[in-house]
Amino acid sequence: MLLLQPAVQARLVDVSELSTFSGARIAFWIIAAIVLLGALATITRKNPIAAVMSLVATFFGLAATYALLSAHFLAALQVLVYAGAIMVLFIFVVMVLNRDEVEPIAVRGAFTKAVGVAAVGYLVVKLGYQLSTVLAPMPGPPPPEFGTVAQVGNILFTDYLFAFEMVSVLLLIAVIAAVVVARAHKREESPEEPQT
Amino acid sequence: MTAAFPLHLIPLLPLAGAAFALLVGKRAGKDAVTLVCLGVVAAAALMAFYAVYLLHGQLPPGGSLTDAFFDAPWMKAGDLEVHPGLMLDRLSAVMVMVVTGIGFLIHLYSTAYMEHDEGYTRFFGYLNLFMAAMLILVLGDSLLVTFVGWEGVGLCSYLLIGFWFDKDANAYAGRKAFVVNRIGDFAFLLAMFLTFSITSTLKYSDMGGVVEALHAPLWFGLPGAYFVGILILIGCTGKSAQIPLYIWLPDAMAGPTPVSALIHAATMVTAGVYMVARMHVVFEVAPATLAAVAGIGAATALFAATIAIAQRDLKKVLAYSTISQLGFMFVAVGSHLHGTSNYEAGIFHLVTHAFFKAGLFLGAGSVLHALANEGDITRMGGLKKYLPHTRWTFLIYCLAISGIFPFAGFWSKDAILAGAHAALWPTSPNPGGAEIWFAAHTGQILYWTLLAAAACTAFYMFRLYFLVFEGEYRGTEEKKHHLHESPPAMTVVLWLLALGSIGIGLLGIPDEFGSRLDRFGDFLSPVLQAQARVETRSDFLIGAAIALSVSSAAILLAWVLYGNGFSPRVKRFVAAVPRLYKTVLNKYYIDEIYDVLVVRPVRWTAIIFWRAVDSVLIDGTINLVALIVGGIGKLVRYLQNGDVQRYLVGILVGAAIIFWGATNWTARQGAKFIVTQHGHEVIVTAAPEDDLAFRRLRFRVEWEGGTYTPEQTATIFTHHYDKAGKHKITVEAFDPRWGTHATVSQKLVIK
Amino acid sequence: MMIPIQDFLLLGALRFGLGVIGVILRRNVLIVLMSIELMLNAANLTLVAFGRARHDPHAHAFAFLVMAVAAAEAAVGLAIVVGIFRNRRSVNLDELTLMKH
Repeated sequence: MLLLQPAVQARLVDVSELSTFSGARIAFWIIAAIVLLGALATITRKNPIAAVMSLVATFFGLAATYALLSAHFLAALQVLVYAGAIMVLFIFVVMVLNRDEVEPIAVRGAFTKAVGVAAVGYLVVKLGYQLSTVLAPMPGPPPPEFGTVAQVGNILFTDYLFAFEMVSVLLLIAVIAAVVVARAHKREESPEEPQT
Repeated sequence: MTAAFPLHLIPLLPLAGAAFALLVGKRAGKDAVTLVCLGVVAAAALMAFYAVYLLHGQLPPGGSLTDAFFDAPWMKAGDLEVHPGLMLDRLSAVMVMVVTGIGFLIHLYSTAYMEHDEGYTRFFGYLNLFMAAMLILVLGDSLLVTFVGWEGVGLCSYLLIGFWFDKDANAYAGRKAFVVNRIGDFAFLLAMFLTFSITSTLKYSDMGGVVEALHAPLWFGLPGAYFVGILILIGCTGKSAQIPLYIWLPDAMAGPTPVSALIHAATMVTAGVYMVARMHVVFEVAPATLAAVAGIGAATALFAATIAIAQRDLKKVLAYSTISQLGFMFVAVGSHLHGTSNYEAGIFHLVTHAFFKAGLFLGAGSVLHALANEGDITRMGGLKKYLPHTRWTFLIYCLAISGIFPFAGFWSKDAILAGAHAALWPTSPNPGGAEIWFAAHTGQILYWTLLAAAACTAFYMFRLYFLVFEGEYRGTEEKKHHLHESPPAMTVVLWLLALGSIGIGLLGIPDEFGSRLDRFGDFLSPVLQAQARVETRSDFLIGAAIALSVSSAAILLAWVLYGNGFSPRVKRFVAAVPRLYKTVLNKYYIDEIYDVLVVRPVRWTAIIFWRAVDSVLIDGTINLVALIVGGIGKLVRYLQNGDVQRYLVGILVGAAIIFWGATNWTARQGAKFIVTQHGHEVIVTAAPEDDLAFRRLRFRVEWEGGTYTPEQTATIFTHHYDKAGKHKITVEAFDPRWGTHATVSQKLVIK
Repeated sequence: MMIPIQDFLLLGALRFGLGVIGVILRRNVLIVLMSIELMLNAANLTLVAFGRARHDPHAHAFAFLVMAVAAAEAAVGLAIVVGIFRNRRSVNLDELTLMKH
């Protein structure tokens, strides 16, 4: 009801931009529809493989969104890292475990979870409303080198060199940790357990 | 003049040895512990002797070696700034040589004595720790550093008395020693506080420069030095086992015998004597405190000596003997004459006593070793056949302590007696009758008391000697078969100490027999302005003759009564005065008196506090709080259902609530207004408080059913009511940034 | 030709919301992990959008680092899932309540 208050008409910014639909904007919302539908499918599919595939679709959509934001390097990375590497990992694990879900959503705690979903809905709706009232419009097109590999690489290897190196160490640790955690512990094995 | 020298290595070496023995000793093995612990003590002794050599040979007589091992201050608070430092002057030089020298011999002896004990490494760890603490005590250059050692030796004493802690009695004895010492330590602490508040320094080397401040009246018109002196004296009576705090020392015999020799005879218990000498400046300002020192010493000397006569336990006799001999030293350092005191005699007796009393204890240890820890002298006798080395050395120690010419005790005791005889205290400006009498006779009283104590000493020592070594063996046959002389490590030490007991006294032959004979006095005199002896050669000879004849007579009496076991005369005498005998045997019931007067009241108070205050009040409160917290926890733990998804809901709901509250805040706060009324004209001022946050609010006013003033940024609204009556005004505030609104209304009557 | 920044942010918010709902509702740990990836992606999208609005390429570096952390998280998370499955024969979140009171 709050949103529908007739009195709240004031805008801090000129929002004429929000009500004009250029070709690019229409293209964006088509991509956004792919992203959102993919996300929706991810969280609703019973079959994990279908969920993974929907997720891959959203990643491609997101890569396209990045491209619209002139983040070319990130768009490429999104495809390589997420759609390429992480999702392959997911598919492997899904195939290893391969459990069909009988009951995708637990009944226990249903009320609590409904409250949680309502809270999320409230936050998203409120935030969406805020977006339409307070933000300045998008500035003009960025310089041509914006978001290129050269530029991002330059920043990564100068300003963020330490963070970059730390991330490499983190990844190494994660690899080792994954091996250690997932490895079969001989002592705890019982005969009926599958050898993976 | 001072010179730098790495003195800190001297206590640090035994400390390292202690760390080694206590931390890795069990793993390193017995041999390694023996090697390290004896090695560090030997090294410390060599360093100490080298330092003394430098001090004596390279520096002028009043000089000292110093070592400030930290440049930074140790502690700093207000005016107090203490630098941890060590100092070696001629007084501490004597102490260091005694501590490291005798200490090393006793370490050597212990290797054999403790050989089969399970706690071998622990024993040597504690012993080394004691050496470190004792060396810090004597080397400290200020009261505070000394106090560190003072507490350290107390701790080691406690640990070593209760060394065989699996027996209740031993643990109790350790505790008793600790608690009684604590009383003295507290006084020492107070003395330290008072010294600092009077003189603004704790360093010994500064004491000479603050005499003025010590003279200044503090309380009751008396100079501050009196109070400092008395407090130090109380501290010293604790550590040196003087009346009234001597009661812990006899019980301290529960520890291993080498410990009794090292800590409770030769070194730690003499710390009190050392402290009085060390703080001589304070005592000299307040001669009456010196009288107190001497009085306590004389009383203790005679009192403990009489108790020793009737004791049946070998080590108990020696313990009371130690108390008595410490009394002699106290008399010496308290014998005032011409603004100074007979310190050097006290320190001299300290040194000679360290030799023969350590020897006596180690001899007793050898006897106990042979008799499988049978300490009752009524079941000994005739041991000279089986323990020849022990017997001869024991005889030498007995002669030394009895003051027989030319053994060490003769010279040092004579110096004390002579000093006491000559002692003279200054009187106040208008002396009364009693004061005049005491000023004239105190020295005499001290002298005759000490002479009586010396007679008792000779008597009980030879009673002990005859009962243990002469006559027929009175113990069981089984034990007789096992009688054996102790191993060489022990007998060698006994002979070395015996040599010392013979020879060390020759360093202190009075100057009357030729100049520069009194090497000991010459050595100390630059530090402690020694008493100018007034006796002539004939005075000395007369004094010596009296002392010798008294001692000899006492020895003779002991021989008559105990030369061949207990003679019938002894039994008859005991039967004649049963009550006296029992009183003395039971040490005048002092422990019982303390028990009734001090221990029981304290214990009952403690029990009352424990039952009433601790159990009910404090525990009750805490339990109640715990119960409440526990109850809440029991309720709340149902939220802890292990379901991460529901936890996440908690986070989200929390976020939503915070978001909701934050976004509505401004509108709610701004939704206020004031109404001003002029007849039918009504003015509404919205958001009357001027707040920056309210300026972005927009307002809308509803005057009466359906009549609005539309939304605007202005805060002042006017309206003209046509008809009289009751009206309701509603103001709605909007926060355009968050899209939130709030309303507030008020009734209004128009006449 | 311009697309307003609000559109991107709205897309990010919706995507984030869908991710959270997935984490809350789904029993399957694998889907939950995917939903977490959705949320991380949404945050990234917001970062990049703001970077574009401010012409600030530092946002891209940041998004890059977030991606690397997300990769590490996915690897360890999946390893834990495999480990849990080995022990409990189940990948259902509501059955994994060992930390219960």
